Amino acid sequence: MNIEARTEKSLNANHDILKAIEEGTRFEDYKAPLFVAWQINSKCNLGCLHCCEEAGQSMPDEMNKQETFRFLEQIAEAKIPYVAFSGGEPLLHPHFFQMCEYLRKNNVNLKVETNGEFIDEKTADRLVALKFRSVQISLDGATAATHEKLRLAGDWEKAIDACRLLIKKGVTTEVVFVPTQFNIHETGDLIDLAGSLGVYGVYTGKIMRIGRAAKNWDILNPSDEEYEKFFTVLNEKTAAYKGKMKVYYYPYDVLEELKYRLEYPSASILVIPNGKVKLIGPLPFLCGDLKKQSLVEVWRDYQKAWRNPEVIEFTKKVLADSRLLSQSNNWKEI
Amino acid sequence: MVFNEHVKIREEKFGAVIFETLSEKIFITNETGLKILQLIEQGKDLPQIVDELKKIYIDNPQAEKDVTDFIGCLKGNNLIGSKLGEENEHRSAYGKIT
Repeated sequence: MNIEARTEKSLNANHDILKAIEEGTRFEDYKAPLFVAWQINSKCNLGCLHCCEEAGQSMPDEMNKQETFRFLEQIAEAKIPYVAFSGGEPLLHPHFFQMCEYLRKNNVNLKVETNGEFIDEKTADRLVALKFRSVQISLDGATAATHEKLRLAGDWEKAIDACRLLIKKGVTTEVVFVPTQFNIHETGDLIDLAGSLGVYGVYTGKIMRIGRAAKNWDILNPSDEEYEKFFTVLNEKTAAYKGKMKVYYYPYDVLEELKYRLEYPSASILVIPNGKVKLIGPLPFLCGDLKKQSLVEVWRDYQKAWRNPEVIEFTKKVLADSRLLSQSNNWKEI
Repeated sequence: MVFNEHVKIREEKFGAVIFETLSEKIFITNETGLKILQLIEQGKDLPQIVDELKKIYIDNPQAEKDVTDFIGCLKGNNLIGSKLGEENEHRSAYGKIT
């Protein structure tokens, strides 16, 4: 290397080397997604009124074991740092633990989003061994009656027991809470309950008008006054639990999120059980098929899709009329 | 120095992306930052990193301060601990030690 070439590089202003992503690159600059949200199955033992995936029965064309592991290999090859498994109920997937083992062996951090009802002593031990980034349990009430009113066929005690068991065994455990007319009044008590259980964090935010939630919107969506109290409670609890438990709430609704994403798409993909790749949860567009395409091809198509005039036009229509969000699961290939 | 267990680093054409997956915070850095991250991964201490950087960037009197600032930035964002003990303290805060 000659001196001139070496002096072209400078170490100056090193405090600017590290930048938060908001100030940094665009999603096109990444060679692969940074995050994969993967709905690994559609089967669920519950029938939650607010389920954005409308889970219940398995899809007839879900990825088979070979297709699933081909995708897992590509995740590892692309060095995707972080994957979240959801469903349906992911613990009902026949290859759930094999899939987790594969990713952990390949140094991919993993979160599982579950209703917690299948976490017994033995399952908890397997989750401990896999060193998950976290296990996230849905808890939609501070009481059984409230939780089970929203999560049809759900069992609040089982979800609570799962939290206790995981925390006892040292698993980073999170709770997610979706506010609705049924449960928004229990927000503060739910956070206190989570605090008493010793969870790492509670996550919440406005309910999204997609999937089954869109169909039940009139009975679910809290009023503006209820949301005002909700955010007041969240602010109080965030302060009260500072340094003890993370209380995180996403302050934007789905329309604000869409408006932002239209300009700044995220460096992540959302995979549904049949291997199709959704552009983003609230929109109906499919931009890839992992049964037929490689991850590299899907990532390229995902980037193109955000600049597709049809996507831009439809998103603008959604922003003008939120009722169109109810079409989020009427998938459309682009 | 060791990376926090939730930190993932991936090389990119602009340098590297650093993903703290527990807090879900993402940072980017340039080629110089990537070089420092690689040296940390190799287990080099601060003087060794400074020496390595000086070889690449000529005898830059600012090198030590710049590297120290960068590493301070990594520590400030909970991406690294100075030694194993510090990382363990971080883990215990999350109830990770069994």
